[in-house]
Amino acid sequence: MDSIPQELIDAIIENVPKSSLLSCSLVAKRWRRKSQRRAFDTISFFFETEVNRWCTDFPHNSDVIPSYVRHLKIEEITSWAEPALLSRMLESLSSLTTLSMHETEIPEELPGLISRGEFGNGITTLYLGFQCYTYATMTSMILSFPNLKELCVEFCEVAPEGPLPTHPVTPQRRPLNSLELRGWWGVAGEALTKSRLTSSRLSLDVEITGIMQLLLASSETLVELKLYGAWFLRVPRPSRDDSN
Amino acid sequence: MVRGFCGSPDRAETIVTDLPDNSEDETPSTIPLRSLPALTTLVISLCGSHPSPCLIKVLCSIGSAPALTSIVIDHSSWESIEDIFFEDPWVGLDKWLSRIARHAEVTGGLPLTLRGWPEGRSIWEGFLSEFRESGEIKVEHK
Repeated sequence: MDSIPQELIDAIIENVPKSSLLSCSLVAKRWRRKSQRRAFDTISFFFETEVNRWCTDFPHNSDVIPSYVRHLKIEEITSWAEPALLSRMLESLSSLTTLSMHETEIPEELPGLISRGEFGNGITTLYLGFQCYTYATMTSMILSFPNLKELCVEFCEVAPEGPLPTHPVTPQRRPLNSLELRGWWGVAGEALTKSRLTSSRLSLDVEITGIMQLLLASSETLVELKLYGAWFLRVPRPSRDDSN
Repeated sequence: MVRGFCGSPDRAETIVTDLPDNSEDETPSTIPLRSLPALTTLVISLCGSHPSPCLIKVLCSIGSAPALTSIVIDHSSWESIEDIFFEDPWVGLDKWLSRIARHAEVTGGLPLTLRGWPEGRSIWEGFLSEFRESGEIKVEHK
């Protein structure tokens, strides 16, 4: 086993099914790190109890396994019983680059902690989807990541009323590489407009409010534009009988 | 009817298309974008029978896109629009495409790709006819 070059071991681990990675990690010491890195590259949570268990299993920021995680998906935790859990977990994920929150509440204190640099500096990709946020929560969350490059906000309703973000906002942000905004209801577009975000690639549902301001803000540097123009979302097509 | 304009916003060209009335219309107020100088790729994704009034409004707010080298219209079901392509929203889209194509600086005419086009089906006579005078239509099958 010792005579096998590390490159070959790495190539094997790259190509085995994910379900075999646990077994791979037990083959020998030289197999462990690479197997664990791949196994924990992307982790997903559907219940708060799972997040709680993660925090219990890896209580220290120096734990090795959390440092392998680059992509975090949290789904369907619509309300946190213990909001600090998410902060504790994010704090332990020192290599995290992608945060995806689907149908998941953003704990109130989270954007402030991120913007103060306590964690999340490495996050470059953020996805928020299928959840209702207040204007302050959404803008605070988006603006809290100093190195954000890709942002996708999908079918998020944003309450038009509400306080402004309380933490300091960077006045001039670097343009994003990609901004995708889908779902026509709410005022998510306006919230993003007020966040002064620009991007060289825009994917926009034409029904969103604030679309023109978003386009105008990015007009000088915009390279790729994708417009979703779905008629049926707003106006049911009259039948032939109706039109006669 | 809701009237949309299609032309260079700074020259306020003539209104060219009427859009279907909609009492609940909340289409965005048009802000003239004048120019998108760096824009090279435009993808229009459709999944209904017509381009929406919002889409026409947004497109018509774009004064020019001189660096544009490709436009794609992506539709999940081109078959569903076969009998209604001559109606207003399609005409409005055709006129906008035509104007952009006339002012594009790409050599050989601006290419427009119809993505998801059914295999073995030719393009219907008259479909995007105005654009075809100055640009080239390609198809990309499912």
